[in-house]
Parts: sequence; C-alpha cells; structure tokens
Amino acid sequence: MQRLLRSMITSLPALVLAAPVFAQATDEVHETSAGLPQLDPSSFPSQIFWLAVSFLLLFWLFKTKALPRVGEVLESRQDRIAADLDRATKLREEAEAALVRYQKVVADAQGKASGQIAATRERLIAENTARQAELDADLAAKVEAAEQRIQAARDAALAELHNVAVEVAQAATQRLIGREVPRAAAEAALAAVTKEAA
Amino acid sequence: MADPLHQFVINPLVPINVAGLDLSFTQSSLWMMITVAAAYGLVMLGTKHAALIPGRLQSVVELAYEFIAGLIKDNAGREGMRYFPAIFTLFMFILFGNMLGLVPMAFTFTSHIIVTFAMAITVFVLITALGFAIHGAHFAHFFVPAGAPKAMIPLLVPIEIISYCVRPISLSVRLFVNMMAGHMMLKVFAGFVTALGIFGFAPLAVTVALLGFEVVVAFLQAYIFTVLTCIYLHDAIHMH
Repeated sequence: MQRLLRSMITSLPALVLAAPVFAQATDEVHETSAGLPQLDPSSFPSQIFWLAVSFLLLFWLFKTKALPRVGEVLESRQDRIAADLDRATKLREEAEAALVRYQKVVADAQGKASGQIAATRERLIAENTARQAELDADLAAKVEAAEQRIQAARDAALAELHNVAVEVAQAATQRLIGREVPRAAAEAALAAVTKEAA
Repeated sequence: MADPLHQFVINPLVPINVAGLDLSFTQSSLWMMITVAAAYGLVMLGTKHAALIPGRLQSVVELAYEFIAGLIKDNAGREGMRYFPAIFTLFMFILFGNMLGLVPMAFTFTSHIIVTFAMAITVFVLITALGFAIHGAHFAHFFVPAGAPKAMIPLLVPIEIISYCVRPISLSVRLFVNMMAGHMMLKVFAGFVTALGIFGFAPLAVTVALLGFEVVVAFLQAYIFTVLTCIYLHDAIHMH
C-alpha cells in the first residue's frame, strides 16, 4: 500500500504538469478527431510487436554476448586482486620466517660466542693455576734447598766451632799446665761443660 | 504554433501487414532498434579492450553493471541475481529509450502508454507467475497481511489484491506520463521561442533548463521502473 502511495506521489507532479495539455488534447478531439496519438489503437499491434522484437533482441544480445564479457572483466579483476592479496600474504609470511631464521642465527652466534668466551676464560684460568702451582713448587724446592744449605752450613760451622773449642781447650791447657791433654779427654771435658751450661 | 501532440503521432516507415494485423515498421520501431543498437554498442565498445584498470567507457559500462547488480541485491536479495540479465535489459532499454528521445527530431517510444503498459504487464505477469512457481498456492497468502485480526481479513484481502493488481498500471502510467509531459513542455516552450521574436530568449532559457530537467527525469524514470520491478521481484521470491 505504502509503495503504491509512494508511486502515486511520484507521478503526481507529472500529471499536474500535463493537466493543461490534457485539457487541450480533449479540445482537439473535437477539432481534428485525432485526440492523443497514444490512445489510437490502430498503432498498438505494431508497437507491441516491435517492442517485443527489440526488447527480446536486446535481452538475447546482453544475456549471451555483452553481460558475460562485463562479468568476465569484473571477475578477472576480482581474481587479480585476490591473487595479489594472496601473494602479499605469502610474502609477509616468508618475511616473518626469514626474521625468525635471522633471530635464530643471531641467537646461535651469541650462544657460540659466549661459549667460546667461557672456554677461553677457563683455559686461561687453568693455565694460570698450573703456572702458579709450578712456580710455587719451584720456589718451595728452592727454599728447601736453601734451608738444607743453611742447615749444612750451620752444622759445618757448629762442627768447626766444636773443633776450635777442643783445640782452644787443648792449647789453653798446654799453656797453663804445660801438658798436652789428649784430644779425647778434651772433647769429653768440653761435652761435660757444654752439658753443664745447657 | 505547432501542435505539441503532433510529435507523438506514429508514422509508418515500412508498411507491413500480417494476416490483417498492421505490424508496420514505424519511427517508433526504428527508435527501439536504435536503442537496442546504442545500448548493446555501448556495452560491447566498453568491454572491447577489457583492461584491468578501466578507461572511461569501460567505467561507464562497469558502473551500469554494478549499479543494477547492487539494485537487485539491495531490493530483491541475492536470489534476485538470477534475473540480472532481464533487469539489466529492462533498465538499459528504458534508459536509452528515454535519453535518445531527448535528441532533437528523435521519437520517444516510452511516451506511448501501450509500450510502457506492455512492459509493465509483462513484468507483472512474469513476476506473479514466478511467485506461484516458487511458493505454489501458498503465494496466495501474500494477500493476507501478517498479524491482521481475523475479522478484518475479508476487508483487507480485496484491498491487497486491488493494490497488487494496480501495480502494472501505476508502473506504466508513471513512465508514460512523465515522458509525454516532459516532451510536450519542451515543445510548447520551444514554440514560444520563434513566436516571441526578440523576446524568445526567455522561453529558450526555460527550454534549456527543461532539457536538463528532462535528462534527470529520463534517468529517474528508468531507475524507478527498475527499482519497482526489483521490489515486486522481492515480493515474489520472499513474500513480505
């Protein structure tokens, strides 16, 4: 109903515009007895016939020839756009994969580098430790040798001192009493004195 | 002044008589053929060098194609696209008939009620047949408004049927009257131009303005005819 009303309203201005002409047309019916040429039924069969012929011809031409061509063009464009979008998506995926690969390579390199650094550091520390130990051993050996030498020297010096003390005692006894004390007696006396002093 | 109705007289060019029926090739028939050639020529020329990025002519053709496709999808739904070639032909035929009728000395076959009525009644009959073909006898329920009180149905159904049956009349009369009125106005004002001598510039200006107005009307009426066909198609496919 609403549509009908709307369509009536749409055609209203045209009807109003045409009103004077309609009036004129009805006047002319009496004058020329022709009236509106549109209402002359003698031309109806020809008009309907040629309308059908031309409309069906256009319909056939459009349906079989023209519209498939237009549809093809639009479809090929749609396909092209879709293909381009697909390609773009694929390229993006490839780029993302490349990025992942690159990050992996960088991470690997970093891992390897830090591994090498750690290994080198350990090696250096081990080397240092070994050298230190070697040095320590060397020094300890030297110290021991020196201590032994000192001990020997002291022993020698002490022994020499003992001899000297014995000889001094013999010499002093000879000077005092004019009698040569045998070495064994002197040594015994010295030992006794040393023992007493201690 | 020349009779403004004279332009609507049908003149036979090639008299043809088949079994007592006058099927003469008239100037009306000639302009129908020119319309067919122009509409078909435009589409074929526009798609001649089918380019990915369309040129001007191709754009016009694609615009027309997508315009009608959009019209059908919006008004009749996706199922209506099955009838795209018919609707497209209808639109192009009326549009070119209206537009070519504005060329001086041309004949506007859409200014004849018998032509517009033949188109409208064909559309009406085919669409009603389609409605019954899709929904069977159930299509008769189209005339019973949904949710109406039972007591009102005897009153409402005749109204619905009348309003349905008036469709081809309103459809055809609208197009015919618009075309005829416009052409008569043009003729009347153009007649004043020579009659008024030096002051003829005033009706000339009106004629120029009217011609621009008529171009709009020519498009609009083709559009309205097509839109209403799509809406009727929607009723037949979906009922309400």
